[in-house]
Amino acid sequence: MLAEQATALVNMEQLEKVYPNGTIAVRGVDLEAGAGEFICFVGPSGCGKSTIFKMIAGLEQPTGGQLEIFGNSPHEARKQNEIAFVFQEHTLLPWSTVEANVMLPLALRKVPKPERREAAHRALRLVGLSDYVKALPRELSGGMKMRVSIARALVSRPKLLLMDEPFGALDEITRQTLQQELLNIWRQEEGMTVLFITHNVFEAVYLSTRVVVMTPRPGKVSAVVDIPVPFPRDDTFRTSPEFGHYVGLVSQALKH
Amino acid sequence: MVIDKTELPALRYGNPDTKNKGRLRQAMPPAASVARKWGSKLLPPVAAFVIFIGGWELAGGLLGIPAYLLPKPSDIVRAAVENAGNLGVSVFTTLSEAIIGFLFSIVFGVLGAVLLASSKTVEKAVFPYAIVLQTIPIVAIAPIIVIWVGAGANAIVIISFLIGFFPMLSNTLIGLNSTDTNLKNLFFLYNASKFQTMWKLRLPAALPYIVAGLKISCTLAVIGAIVGEYIAGIGGGKGGLGYAITVAATRLQTPYLFACGLSASIMGIGFYLIVNYFSRAMLSSWHESEMRTR
Ligand SMILES: Nc1ncnc2c1ncn2[C@@H]1O[C@H](COP(=O)(O)OP(=O)(O)OP(=O)(O)O)[C@@H](O)[C@H]1O
Ligand SMILES: [Mg+2]
Repeated sequence: MLAEQATALVNMEQLEKVYPNGTIAVRGVDLEAGAGEFICFVGPSGCGKSTIFKMIAGLEQPTGGQLEIFGNSPHEARKQNEIAFVFQEHTLLPWSTVEANVMLPLALRKVPKPERREAAHRALRLVGLSDYVKALPRELSGGMKMRVSIARALVSRPKLLLMDEPFGALDEITRQTLQQELLNIWRQEEGMTVLFITHNVFEAVYLSTRVVVMTPRPGKVSAVVDIPVPFPRDDTFRTSPEFGHYVGLVSQALKH
Repeated sequence: MVIDKTELPALRYGNPDTKNKGRLRQAMPPAASVARKWGSKLLPPVAAFVIFIGGWELAGGLLGIPAYLLPKPSDIVRAAVENAGNLGVSVFTTLSEAIIGFLFSIVFGVLGAVLLASSKTVEKAVFPYAIVLQTIPIVAIAPIIVIWVGAGANAIVIISFLIGFFPMLSNTLIGLNSTDTNLKNLFFLYNASKFQTMWKLRLPAALPYIVAGLKISCTLAVIGAIVGEYIAGIGGGKGGLGYAITVAATRLQTPYLFACGLSASIMGIGFYLIVNYFSRAMLSSWHESEMRTR
């Protein structure tokens, strides 16, 4: 029990968020995320997935329950610069090059320029965009912009990576390529925990070590499905009976 | 991890000259067709101009309208040429006043907006006024300026500045407040300071709005300078176009009056075109500004 406490990166107890307009976004959420986990959140629109992420990131304050990140408050945790966020839209600075966009988190922390650049190039190598250092966002495709966003999130080597429907706007082929890349990166960056929101059950099962299934009105966790399939996973996993089994489990949990 | 490079847009990032690529991509049409295209585009307006001027000249001569009522184009040109020296001095005077006033309205407009936008409370209190302020008819309060700083160039520059200042201020302020929420959240998550958020996010994001403000202000600055000259006179210095126009009007030197008005129009249009050109250059480098400074 004690050992588990020590490794918990994110800890939610009876977490609740009621927006000022009275909307109960989430209520009574209990969840613990350990180091090195890959947890997907699935659930219909409006069940409070983004709200949970916003609270973790410190963009919204919980109205009830407990929320601890790295054993601290979200505010303290953010100051440690070990949380990174990838939004559904790529949110790149349109006037900045790919390199400058990726270096941004480090630039804001006033990390010396050579170090910054080195870290940016490393992150861009991870997402396969080394050739696009000097490109501007408008010159990239949607998938490439998303890669840049991911590189920017990785540049500070975060312990916790929050991804809110990052692949939602991409076509299926690009999506699968990026899923594979993300898994590779996650395994390379040892100990990094990824929390990932998706509407796509297949994506959730393919990526995660655990799938958190949420239901709306009020938003709550209705089931947590373990996916104890070893990594590396590849396309053969997508077509395996095992995969179908877990997809079935998650889909069933969603229907409740 | 394998990316099919053939699917990605062509690479040209080693090449600093990315600005012209749009133009380079098009094949150059043959010279003859270029000439024809320009001909068909230019000919109608030129023809209309010639017919209009010619008709005016003819009508003036045939109907015998006196020059002090409606001068013929040739009268206007003669008046301009005969007084070329004075006209040149007037244009130069007005232009310098307008430019100084315009520069002041840029500096104070942008600085003021940044200051206002830096504090949530101040911004909330002042923002509605800033929107309304840009519609103030500065001309109506111009005589007060003359009372305060005396007649002459100072008052004229201040009037020109004031008239261009409020559009600059409110445009910049609106731009600073229209930053994308996701980007703001991003800066928040990465613990950016207020100054960093302003300098690296809000100001660059406001650039299109600032440019829109520039275009409005530059036109107004010229109007402000001329109106300022109507109201504030010359105060011992050399008179600008506004002053020359009042003098010519009282002396019924109508051809020279027309020449002055024409010069003012050309000056205003020219000034606008120059500012427009710079604005465009700025906006196209907007995307690249980071690249340049690094
Ligand atoms: N700022 C806000 N003020 C009031 N209500 C809000 C606010 N943000 C979200 N909500 C409400 O809270 C509930 C949960 O929203 P949230 O964005 O967390 O859902 P979600 O699960 O991320 O949905 P989606 O899958 O569509 O992104 C919704 O009913 C939404 O209308
Ligand atoms: Mg959401």
